[in-house]
Formats: sequence, C-alpha cells, structure tokens
Amino acid sequence: MNMKDFNLDNEPKIGTGFKTPEGYFDAFQQKMMENLPVEEPKVISLFERNRKWVLSAAAVLIVVLTIPTFYNSASNEDEIDVASMENYLAYQSNISQYDLINLLDNEDIQSLDVDFALEDQTIEDILTTNTNLENYLYEN
Amino acid sequence: MEDEKDFIKALLDPKTQNVAFERLLAAFQKPLYAHIRNIVLNHDDADDVLQNTFVKVYQNLKNFKGESKLFSWMYRIATNESITFINAKAKRNGQTSEAFQQKQVENLRADDYFDGDAVQLKLQKAIVELPEKQQLVFKMKYFQEMKYEEISEILGTSVGGLKASYFHAVKKIEDFMKKD
Repeated sequence: MNMKDFNLDNEPKIGTGFKTPEGYFDAFQQKMMENLPVEEPKVISLFERNRKWVLSAAAVLIVVLTIPTFYNSASNEDEIDVASMENYLAYQSNISQYDLINLLDNEDIQSLDVDFALEDQTIEDILTTNTNLENYLYEN
Repeated sequence: MEDEKDFIKALLDPKTQNVAFERLLAAFQKPLYAHIRNIVLNHDDADDVLQNTFVKVYQNLKNFKGESKLFSWMYRIATNESITFINAKAKRNGQTSEAFQQKQVENLRADDYFDGDAVQLKLQKAIVELPEKQQLVFKMKYFQEMKYEEISEILGTSVGGLKASYFHAVKKIEDFMKKD
C-alpha cells in the first residue's frame, strides 16, 4: 500500500483486527443469564415488616399520652390572649360593628379617642388620598 | 425487532422476563461487544464492560422511558460504561486516560485476540491520537458503519457536529498514515 497518498475512502476497508475467543458469545449469553442480578427476597426483621404499623402505633400512643397534659394546661388558662380574640372578632364572628359599638361605654370611646389621636394634617392627608371616601360617609 | 413497546413489556413482566432478556442478549451482544471492544481495545476488558452494560440495562429497564430507541439507549449505556472503565483503570494505574489508551494500543501487538496487520495497527495508533469525541465518532462511523442519525441519538450530538468531527478525524488519520 502506498502510504504517500493515503486516502481512507480510496483504500480497501481497514478492519479492526479484533478477534474473540472461540464460542465466546454462546458462553457469554449463558454466563449472563446465570448471573442476572436477582431481586433478592430480602430478610426483613419483624420491625421492618411491620414498620408502618409500629410507627403508627407509636404516634397514636404519643398523642394519647399528651392529651391529658394538653387538656389540663389549656383549661388552666382563663384568659384568652388578645391576638386570638382580635382574630376571632375580625375573621370568625358574625358580630357587626354596630354590635361592637353598643358594647362600648363612654369610657371606652374616650380611650379610643386617645389611642387614635391623629394630627389634623394626617387626617387631611388620608381624606385627600382616599378614593373610597363615600363608603365611610355612608357608614357614618 | 418487533414492536419495541411489547418487547419492553415482556422484559418487565416477571413471567416473560427471562425469555425476553435472552432474546435481547442474542440480538445485541455482538454489536455491543464490537462497540465496547473498539473503545477499550482489549478482549478481557470488553468482556467486563459488556457484562456491566447488560447488568445496567437489566436493572434500569423499569426506568426506560422509551423516549429514545432501545437500541440507542443500550449503546449509550455501553459507551458510558466503556469510558468510565478506561478512566477508572487509568486512575488505578496512576496514568491519564490518554496515556493509558496509548499503552493499550502498544499492547495490541502482543495481544492474542488481535491479528491486525501493520496497517491495521497503524490505524489504531492514529485513532488513539484523536480527542475522545472524534475517536468515538470515527469508530462508530468507519468500523461499525452506523448512520449519523444513529450516532447522533447515542452521543446526543447534532448530525452536523458529527460530520465535522468525522471530517477532522479522517484528515488527521490520513496525515498520520502518510507518515512513516
């Protein structure tokens, strides 16, 4: 073969030169089938097998044991904290603002006045920037 | 091979699994062996990698989504297994993968399962000089005579990119072969 103008396409096909041992593929197939990884039947301990049930039982037990403590500690509190009360009034109850107003006496209203002492300027700002003014006017 | 979906179903059904896998082996062991042998060069290594490949195929069939053909999926596994094998063996010998492969080519002369002549040996020497991707493309195109579309599905490279790789590979190989 003249290597000086070697051109792969013009040459007769060059093989790899690789051989395999006699009967290799038959033997390989057999070896492969014999050694396929088996989904082993795992040895499962009693705990593993019933893991779900054991864990569920434990969870239930914990809950059951906690109830009396929880119940006691809950019933000991006579006072409802302010935040819960506010949330209840705001979102849960169907008490209207009129009901609330009826429950307030003069003293309450005065303290509200103090709490909400607003500067004239602030009120003016709110009034000029608030576009839903009509709603407030009607309600009053 | 008949409808691939049915065949995969047969491979996954415990009742038909063994018969179906035996047919898969019969159909693919030779072409996959050739593919692997072209990468790892040595018969014993190819035997190891082929076995690893079929074990991986067997274990991962249940995850095979059917997005690509079974054929290209298996070739992809074989390619990855071969490259992983070379890199691991090179590392164990404290060599770079390139140096390790050079050594493998030099060992061919004394290999009982290589009966190539001077030209065939020189061609192997020329190939091992190429970057990994060009080596793969050249071997799959020239030795295994695969279509660009098939190689593209296996290697995940565009047909255009593969043609460029093959063109460069051929040029470098021809230059190498012209040298004494």
